[in-house]
Amino acid sequence: MLSSWTFFISTLVVYFGVDLLSGLSLNLQFGYAGVINFGYIIFQAAGAYAAAVVTLGPSGPASFQHYVFGAKLPFPLPLLLATAVGAALAGVVGLFGLRRIRRDYQAVVLLIVSLIALQLVQADVPLFNGSNGLVGIPRPLQSQLALTPQGYQWAYAAWVLALCALVYLLVRWLSKSTWGRSLRAVRDQEDAAASLGLNVTALRLQVFVIGGAIAGLSGGLLVEFIGAWSPDAWGYAETFVIFTAMFVGGVGNYRGVLLGVLLVPILFLQLPQFLPQIGYPGLTGSLEWIIVGLVWMAILLLRPQGILPERRALALPDLSREAA
Amino acid sequence: MGTLVSAVAFGVVLASVIAVAAMGFTIQFGLTNVFNLSFGAIMTVGAFAAYLAQVNGINAWYGLAVGGAAGAVLTLLIGRGLFRVYARRGAKLFEMVMVTLGLGLVINYAIQAISQNNVYQFAVLQSKPLRLGPAAITPTQAILVGIAVAVFAALEAMLRLTRTGKALRAMAAEPTLARSCGIRTGRVVIVTWLLSGFLCGMAGVVYIINTQSVGYATGENFLPLVVAAAILGGAGSPAGAVVAALAMGVVTEIVSAYGGPQYSTVAGFGILVLVLVARPGSVLGGQARETRLTL
Amino acid sequence: MTAPDDMPGPSPAAPAAGPPAAPVLSARDVVIRYGGVTAVNGLSMDAFAAEAVGLIGPNGAGKSSFLAALGGQARIQSGSISLAGQNVSRLPAHARARRGIARTFQLTSEFSGMTTFENLVTAGHGAAGASLASVLAHPRRSRQQDLAMARRAWEVLERFELADIANAYGRELSGGQRRLVEIMRCLMRSPTVLLLDEPMVGVAPHLVDRMVADLKAIRDDGISLIIVEHALEVVRELCDRVVVMADGASIAAGSYEQVVKDREVQAAYLG
Repeated sequence: MLSSWTFFISTLVVYFGVDLLSGLSLNLQFGYAGVINFGYIIFQAAGAYAAAVVTLGPSGPASFQHYVFGAKLPFPLPLLLATAVGAALAGVVGLFGLRRIRRDYQAVVLLIVSLIALQLVQADVPLFNGSNGLVGIPRPLQSQLALTPQGYQWAYAAWVLALCALVYLLVRWLSKSTWGRSLRAVRDQEDAAASLGLNVTALRLQVFVIGGAIAGLSGGLLVEFIGAWSPDAWGYAETFVIFTAMFVGGVGNYRGVLLGVLLVPILFLQLPQFLPQIGYPGLTGSLEWIIVGLVWMAILLLRPQGILPERRALALPDLSREAA
Repeated sequence: MGTLVSAVAFGVVLASVIAVAAMGFTIQFGLTNVFNLSFGAIMTVGAFAAYLAQVNGINAWYGLAVGGAAGAVLTLLIGRGLFRVYARRGAKLFEMVMVTLGLGLVINYAIQAISQNNVYQFAVLQSKPLRLGPAAITPTQAILVGIAVAVFAALEAMLRLTRTGKALRAMAAEPTLARSCGIRTGRVVIVTWLLSGFLCGMAGVVYIINTQSVGYATGENFLPLVVAAAILGGAGSPAGAVVAALAMGVVTEIVSAYGGPQYSTVAGFGILVLVLVARPGSVLGGQARETRLTL
Repeated sequence: MTAPDDMPGPSPAAPAAGPPAAPVLSARDVVIRYGGVTAVNGLSMDAFAAEAVGLIGPNGAGKSSFLAALGGQARIQSGSISLAGQNVSRLPAHARARRGIARTFQLTSEFSGMTTFENLVTAGHGAAGASLASVLAHPRRSRQQDLAMARRAWEVLERFELADIANAYGRELSGGQRRLVEIMRCLMRSPTVLLLDEPMVGVAPHLVDRMVADLKAIRDDGISLIIVEHALEVVRELCDRVVVMADGASIAAGSYEQVVKDREVQAAYLG
């Protein structure tokens, strides 16, 4: 009994870490640069797929599942590749998707891109093994570490949290830099930003690629943990959950994102799985989504800035005069 | 050759289904500027309304009116009751997309919960297929094409000949000007919600008459094709939506016939991506002129 | 700052005597069409350093479109625009800004979710400080630049006596303050040409004189001002030279006193 609880909690910690990475990525893109990445999930899925195929080993005619470029790379390399693939895909999609079109069109175009990608993957057996996805992906360093299953769970959770902390610091530092401030200028008034010498297209593309890299990393971490890659798990609604988390916690505030990720994906979506079942099988699932949708709409109506709003960056006249 | 002809014939049938929904979407979006992603969920509501009517002994074809009415009432309620509240609290174009996305989620999963996540049979009496050269389509499908043509003709006539229709077109083109010219904008907006909602609900029924089954994801799966057709055709243009629907339907079925059905929807979206890349002007806007919500 | 009224330099009303200075900004036969509508139809204009040119005309004359063509917000169908002798007609807005064009917008364009101070500092950095590569590769240098820019921002704020709104968000400002934030933001860039689209709209009447004086001082620093303005008393007070537009073309040019006497101008205004 006790062991099942620690198993459950360590799993939740990993999910939390993956969702937090997603939240950080989306907050950089949306909270700072105003880029609405409704296609977020495909960058995460691409990273996960990349990490999976270079962990599974070569795909031969004898193997029961199809995938491209099979290899068996040592531990941190699959994650690095996942990050790179997420970034590269974001670069390609960004080149087409980030044109100067109305913001609502842009959001919908990215949403449609994510729907196309999902259908393409499900349709294509030789490349992606169709809707069966990939299974049997070995966990990194499991044999080398010689830990108990529980010990490994916790070690993996700690590893995910460490990476989260690293990304958190990186993203926060970037957001506070002159570059991050320029992103906010682009977000608030794109024509004015351009008229002050800022290359709006380049800034958007940069933030899109960085967000894509984080997405790829989070996908790699997730797939190596659960050991399977199923296209059905990468529906657009998953993107929506992270957006809800960000809006609940506070757009443009990284602590808010942290809070939001604790509340929405973890509290609303993960915990209810362990509650007693009501009604017919699957009713709990529907109710969860209804609640997420209602929370989303209520937040947009009542407190669009979130629980912890963006913080004002105060300028201190005395300090800078002393510097002068 | 035979494959091609029958692919085109099936393409026209699919296009008819897309077109009814896309016409509704495009007049709603063209006038209100709400990019309504709950449109698919409302299609499903219309479809289920027709299904329930059928269970209670109402003919499937009358179900078109039942579904349309359900869509119209629901759309008017959310348009006037919900979207307007958000707009009053300062929601702009993009925030409204988020609201409609959330609403779509709530409606979809509510239907999932009520329908117990089952797919139900929606039977329409079938008779012998009609042969058109090498192609064979069922009379039902032929009627669906006829419905799409009739809806298009009626909508165009309404927009061009009636007072309300003219007011609707004027407002979609120049909202501020129309208001200062004494058009009763509130009434036109109500008509738009009702009309687009009716087409939306009816499109849901058209869809399930074609597929003969209804489930909670009916409209949601179909929505991207509808949105793509509406964007391609240009916001607010029923004729554009019909042409775009034809292109998407025919290409989808041709790809399906030659490349395998699994690639068909991908091809439909491929057109959208191509157009976005090649002719971004069709979706440009809002840069020079601030686009506002009209609710 | 020098005395504003008897500055040396190109005397705009009279044809330039002696060796004429080269124009800072020069537009030739500019044509802009939106869809089927021709907004600007073959307009030519020169602007010189330390000179304020007023662009007036009835609504729909194409003044804002012309300004957008100069700033790079609108594409021109034909004609050319050159800045300090270089053709910039095909350059995007941000590239023109880096060469010295700054502008304000008809609808104020303050960064609403940023403080006044951040508005200014962001503008000052422009392209160089905002580049991701420079932030990543030289974090220290980039911080130094930020400090330098902060000092500059305080200077500009104090020059306009607006240090007390330094920490107010753009969206919290009054209409007049927003106009001033836009202008201060432009000055952070040390532009050679400053385009102003109706800078007095939303400015409280008792502050208009103050703004006119500020703009004169900016002009006297050597910046070329091109101003679209409906308030004719402001134009008379501020502009050395006036171009009157109607239906996308120039119908008169000269000093304010000259153009208001022009028959065609009176006809255009009265309809």
